[in-house]
Amino acid sequence: MVVAAGGSASRKKGHKRERGTTLFVFLCVLPALVFLAIFLYYPIVETFRISQVKTTGLSEEVFVGLDNYRKLFADEEFLAGLRHVFSWAFWSIVIQLPLSFFIAFGLTYYSNRMSNTLRAIFYLANILPSAITAMLGKMVFAPNYGILVTIGKVLGWKWLASADFLGNPKFAFWSVFVIATWAYAGFYIIYFMARMEQIPRDLREAAELDGASALRYAWSIVLPDLSYAIRICAVLCTVGSLKLFDLPYLMTTGGPGYATVTLGITLYRHGFINWNYGKAAAIGVVIFVLSLVFTIIQFTIGKGKDA
Amino acid sequence: MGEVNTMAVKPDRPRSIQGTRRRHRPAEIIVTVVLSILALFVIFPFVIPFLFAAKTQLEFAYHPWAWPKSFQVKNFIDAWKAVRIDKGLINTLIVCIGSIVCTIPPAALSGYVFARYRSRFTEILFYLILIGYFIPVQMVLVPLYKMEVATHINDTLYGLFLPMAAFGIPFWTLIYRSFFKSLPNELAEAARIDGAGHWSVLFRIMFPLAQPATVLAVLLVFIGAWNDYLLSLVLLTDQNNFTMQLRVASFLNAYGTDRMPRYAAAAIISAAPTVILYIIGHRGIIKGTLAGAIKE
Amino acid sequence: MKKCNVFVLLFLMFGLIAAPSLFAANVTLTIWGRDIPDDSADHLYVRDLIAGFQAKNPDIKINYVALGDPGLMDKTKITMASGSGLPDIFQTWGGSVMGGYADAGHLLDLTAELKSVPGSLAAQQAMTWKGKIYGVAPFFAVAGIFVNEGIFKANNLKVPTTIEEFDKVCDTLLAKGIQPFACGEKDKWPALALYMYLVNRYGGDASAQAAARKIPYNSEPFVKAAQLYQSWIKKGYFGATPLGEAYGDAQQLMATGKAAMHVTGSWMCAQYSNPDFTDQTLGFYAFPAFKSGGVGTVYDIMGMTDIGFAATKAAAGKKDAVVKFMKYAMSVEACQSDPGRICSVPGVKAKSTLTAQASAVFASAKTVTFWWDQDLPPSVTSPLNDTIQSFFLPETDVKKALTAFETLCVENIGPVKK
Repeated sequence: MVVAAGGSASRKKGHKRERGTTLFVFLCVLPALVFLAIFLYYPIVETFRISQVKTTGLSEEVFVGLDNYRKLFADEEFLAGLRHVFSWAFWSIVIQLPLSFFIAFGLTYYSNRMSNTLRAIFYLANILPSAITAMLGKMVFAPNYGILVTIGKVLGWKWLASADFLGNPKFAFWSVFVIATWAYAGFYIIYFMARMEQIPRDLREAAELDGASALRYAWSIVLPDLSYAIRICAVLCTVGSLKLFDLPYLMTTGGPGYATVTLGITLYRHGFINWNYGKAAAIGVVIFVLSLVFTIIQFTIGKGKDA
Repeated sequence: MGEVNTMAVKPDRPRSIQGTRRRHRPAEIIVTVVLSILALFVIFPFVIPFLFAAKTQLEFAYHPWAWPKSFQVKNFIDAWKAVRIDKGLINTLIVCIGSIVCTIPPAALSGYVFARYRSRFTEILFYLILIGYFIPVQMVLVPLYKMEVATHINDTLYGLFLPMAAFGIPFWTLIYRSFFKSLPNELAEAARIDGAGHWSVLFRIMFPLAQPATVLAVLLVFIGAWNDYLLSLVLLTDQNNFTMQLRVASFLNAYGTDRMPRYAAAAIISAAPTVILYIIGHRGIIKGTLAGAIKE
Repeated sequence: MKKCNVFVLLFLMFGLIAAPSLFAANVTLTIWGRDIPDDSADHLYVRDLIAGFQAKNPDIKINYVALGDPGLMDKTKITMASGSGLPDIFQTWGGSVMGGYADAGHLLDLTAELKSVPGSLAAQQAMTWKGKIYGVAPFFAVAGIFVNEGIFKANNLKVPTTIEEFDKVCDTLLAKGIQPFACGEKDKWPALALYMYLVNRYGGDASAQAAARKIPYNSEPFVKAAQLYQSWIKKGYFGATPLGEAYGDAQQLMATGKAAMHVTGSWMCAQYSNPDFTDQTLGFYAFPAFKSGGVGTVYDIMGMTDIGFAATKAAAGKKDAVVKFMKYAMSVEACQSDPGRICSVPGVKAKSTLTAQASAVFASAKTVTFWWDQDLPPSVTSPLNDTIQSFFLPETDVKKALTAFETLCVENIGPVKK
């Protein structure tokens, strides 16, 4: 796959390998390899080792084998985090992607003077540091003075005025999700727009000659053309939910209970708040395995495109 | 496949489904209005803090949503003193520059070799580096931290941007590799016939040609380092070393909502650098982000 | 002669200017603290302590590093674990955490030097471990009830003197549309204060026994206290949205008279007596005991060091400078700039009625129990707060939650010894 024939002339048969080529290659790759060896390969190997010991950092390391993993799968917090990987990914795909698709389509199909400005606005929330996004999110969902609660008070809707968006386990996940959609959808929008702009223009003209409506055109031409892009975004949603940390941690620290816990949060809490390195490393390994699975899916989708 | 998320930087294709000379149709107006309203929702949360930040503490406590009676500059002064975003800003800039300097040269060098000097040996090395692309930061957090503590580079800015660079190198190696693959080979061949060595071909011909990729890399590595939270949260403890993100987040935790007007002022101050950067460079930022994500 | 005078004068001037810098920085003290020494009200003490000490002792250079809230504890713990890179002095809450460092042999014994420094007994005990004094605690905090006097007066209510009276008071307040308690449990730790009191009132020193692994955390006082707590939550005594409110939001409820009581630490005295922050009149009271059937009394107080300093072995060679700093930290001059904390130093006047009331509660204490989450190993403190937060979910079976916590304690501290 990666070796797919490129235009590398330097491999032509009979091309005389100059002396020093090997040295050159070696020197070029060396810096990257040194970086990775120190900050990636070594920690990866360590993760597997630490995941089999019990240590708090202050205490000695005690080898416990797979005990950390056994405890992990009896740990409600971890299981909640694991569940949320999948539910978060699912809802991202089902809600964020279609929403982004329609916004992108609207902006591209009815392109006018406003389009570029609107695109820039939609993407704005995406580049904001998450600490600030979380700050703004709290102002929307806070009890007593939050926007939604205030709207409820003004309209006299008691259920809204006394709703506890961040404190009720049933709502907390969704409150964080809404803010995440607000923050993340911008990326999918600009991505879809870029793909849509590459659809040849004659296709649209032909569709319009046939009298196809905008929706019909979106459904039968744009959607199939973007199927690859959508699949990629679906993978990004999944990988993103695996790595999710900033927003839920800053907005709810995973609470109430374990309602908004993610794998990243459990790892951080076990490792750096409870000082249970072994358990945290075991979570790291779980994240690694899941990421491996998602990567294989990603590759399969990549192949689908070439086939 | 290997480059699902990568793309060679090529000139934009002509914009196609955009109709430019048509008259505005009712459907178009409706859709534009709906989209504009959605865009207002995006902007709205940016406006609220101004309403809160203008008030005194008691005014806010009793009437959070009323129009402010006067504009309290004091909130902004207090917030500035508490967050000291300027200190964080300098650290953030150091981290950004450090991670650019440490990410891009190694990635460009190795990407070039993987594109132009292909052999079984370099393929193996390529896969070795590719592994890094699939490792989530979270996985190695614990050993990384232990290692930094043991070598006393935790709680330093280079202790932060060095691993950050290590996490970026695999991705940018991929990008550079596909970029160099897309370049025509004639120039390099000609130079080589003239007797130029590997290094001079690389530095005099290939790297200047790679400028578009490098511009993107600078931009995106910058944004990545600018927005990092998790890694800095774990690796930095001394407030003097805090990045802007950490300063904002620790303000969020330590001062929280007990003084909402000051808190809102802090939100405005904290968001300002990013928003200003974005307003200046949003075209480049959007284009750059796409370049990193689209496969041609 | 004139020339000569000029020279002498010049020489003197030069000497005056140069002398401090020549003799300065003989000793450098590295101090790790929590707060940035800036103008924010709760940082004033640290700011003035550093500046004041520096001005008085130009020969001692202070290198003060502010590490923030989890940062200070984390970094101290890590350096204590590795034993290298220790600061000379670090801010600490004392208790068993500091005791652990002392056991590991990292702390500097200052018993002889600090024994006679005037200060409150509880504060001194906090910095004492196995009979040796390792530092000073100029400020102490106790937990109690902040009460909105105006609301109580307007509704003809009296501050409860027994726990049994709470129900009636709370029901009356609820009927008037006033939230009885502010809490702010979104942040997970604020609910601990009340729970500690309830456990104590049911079972006396149960928490100390559980920490020493003599009784489990799912034994009677813990379960009973949790059940009472949860029944109050279910009755709405903590408002409709306790889990969505952060600690800061809870303060807002008190500041605007929307809530009538707040069980929390006396560190709130400064804020609650600041007219810019609240226009209500608040008072501070000790938490009552049961009229019947309880063990703990109103004189059992939950408290903790608010600001304390201990010295490490790294400072063994500069003991004099360290002691000077510790003594200055306990001086009236350094302490009087703090606007609201309970000061352990005699002669420092309380800045507000609230602080005076809190100091009186502290003075009345017969036993002082340290804040649990400062006194337990870090592996179980955050799960403890999670467990207490779970009481706020109506579907939580508190007994099960406490049993799960006990299992964790068995794993991390050890099983209960018979």
